[in-house]
Amino acid sequence: MSTVTFEGVSKRYGEVVALDALDLRVEEGEFVSLLGPSGSGKSTTLNLLAGLMDADTGSIRIGTRDITGLPPEQRDIAMVFQNYALYPHLTVFENIAFPLEARKPRPDAATIRAKVERVAGTLGVAPLLARYPKEISGGQQQRVALGRAMVRDPKVFLLDEPLSNLDARLRIRMRRDLKALHHQLGSTIVYVTHDQAEAMTLSSRIAVFDHGKLQQYGAPAEIYERPANIFVANFVGDRETNFLDGTLEAGADGLVYATALGRIPLGNGGATPREGRATRLGVRPEAIAVEPDGGSDLRVVLTELAGADLFLTVRGRDETEVVARADPRAIRITEGEGVRLRFDAERLHLFDAGTGVAVRHGGG
Amino acid sequence: MRIAWLVSSGGERTLATGGSVRRAERFVPYRLLAPALAVELLLVLGPLVVGVWYSLHNVRFFRVRNFTGLDNYWRVLGSEEVLNALRYDFRGRTAAMMVIVAVMSIPIASLLVPTFTLISVLGLFDTRLGLVLLYTAYQLPAAIWMLYGYFMSLPVEVENAARVDGCTPLATLRKVVLPLSKPGLVAAALFILVFAWNDFVVAVTMTSSEATRTFPVAIYFYLGFYGREWGPLLAASLVSIVPIIAVFVFLQRYFMSGLTGGGVKG
Repeated sequence: MSTVTFEGVSKRYGEVVALDALDLRVEEGEFVSLLGPSGSGKSTTLNLLAGLMDADTGSIRIGTRDITGLPPEQRDIAMVFQNYALYPHLTVFENIAFPLEARKPRPDAATIRAKVERVAGTLGVAPLLARYPKEISGGQQQRVALGRAMVRDPKVFLLDEPLSNLDARLRIRMRRDLKALHHQLGSTIVYVTHDQAEAMTLSSRIAVFDHGKLQQYGAPAEIYERPANIFVANFVGDRETNFLDGTLEAGADGLVYATALGRIPLGNGGATPREGRATRLGVRPEAIAVEPDGGSDLRVVLTELAGADLFLTVRGRDETEVVARADPRAIRITEGEGVRLRFDAERLHLFDAGTGVAVRHGGG
Repeated sequence: MRIAWLVSSGGERTLATGGSVRRAERFVPYRLLAPALAVELLLVLGPLVVGVWYSLHNVRFFRVRNFTGLDNYWRVLGSEEVLNALRYDFRGRTAAMMVIVAVMSIPIASLLVPTFTLISVLGLFDTRLGLVLLYTAYQLPAAIWMLYGYFMSLPVEVENAARVDGCTPLATLRKVVLPLSKPGLVAAALFILVFAWNDFVVAVTMTSSEATRTFPVAIYFYLGFYGREWGPLLAASLVSIVPIIAVFVFLQRYFMSGLTGGGVKG
């Protein structure tokens, strides 16, 4: 168990900057997710940490040890690969035992057997030890890959989208198992994913990447409630954030944002953005309350029932659309009906339209 | 066929990992190249150097008379452009593979004379060791090319996993890459075996005594000065086929496909 520190780490492939001057610190025992779309630099970060790639500049430390120039085998890490990367010519037992046997000093056979059996028991693959990887299911292969990482006591665990090849149901179960495993082991975990739901549910902190740059680094709640910029606001969350263009006006009760869907009060408090800059309002579906109103210009054009939630697409006169969440048991609404929208000032985010940087969050 | 398969498997890997950006470096095949290249240099490029030396001089009966510069080349090539085309700026690995392909394209017959000189100087004329070394050197480029292709077709993640799990590059080669490469190794071995077993030209040049004669050379000697013994000749020819077939049958089980199945998903 150890900390992980990136200092000014950059990596480029020819002209493409894969990672731009990354500074990141993972505390001991933290579960940190590197979240971003493909090509955002998250996997590059992981490969640099694993030693599978060399950094162009900067330094990487595990604990107090500078590992920037060390080959992977000397970094004392364990890694779970997206496609599991089990050794096809070895049995499940030999796969899990591999990291123990590859290192010196090599434990004696009885110790290896005991450790492998303990790990296999924890992960529920004990009955499969004599089989080969191709003879077990995808979920089981996944567990074996995890077991191979767990069998030693490495400084850091690296997980590279370990759940992305599982079907939806199994993925959610493995998510829970992973979290339980983290509580049980208390180890430092760096987890790469493009699935924001995975990152939100698993992590102590999330590092959001885009275009090789770290966009925001913080606890899931902070990332969700105070997104640093338009990219983060849009990428994190099950549903896309609505973005409305408009102008800021001073109202009787604090700032008001005038949009095609009406005047939206932003409430008191919070910073006042600089004059003369174009702004854009970010609103998550759950920050909009919908009430039926026959006389309104706003019409419901689409309803989507997603089990516990009802998502309504509401269109204004000038074709501006927003998606709002409603409780399907509390509201009866059909497509084509008129509605009135109420925006929760606490959950509105104002961004600079040019740079995309957040200038004001509701609620302070 | 084989090349198409390699290309397609490479493409899949790129897709699966979301673009070429993610592709981590491959360590192993290049390590293997070093010793192979050394042998290669000595036995194939050595004669080549002798050849180059001779080609730059006026030579009669293996005696260098006088330096003639590139005159011999101009006679052959006629233009400077061919040489300019060779001055490409390759990076290490590409250059190494290019050398190997280039060496593969040299006809053995053109190497016979310088090789003969080299073998004689080394005192290996008319010895089995000399033949063994020559066959190794001649077939090494093809073997490297085949194995290189095979290694590259193995999922790179499995190699990466071995490194992270504590293997040095050499241990990764020994514990993971080679066991997974059995079909490729067997194919390369058979390729070389068939060549060495069937070769006539090299064997007849590099040997003189009955003791070191190979099968094809021995068969040839049934065509005597005074007559042709067709019966024994054909019998010997047929007998010479048997060991090769036996080896093929024996090694057939290593051609199993799907040896790497189940290791990686996606």
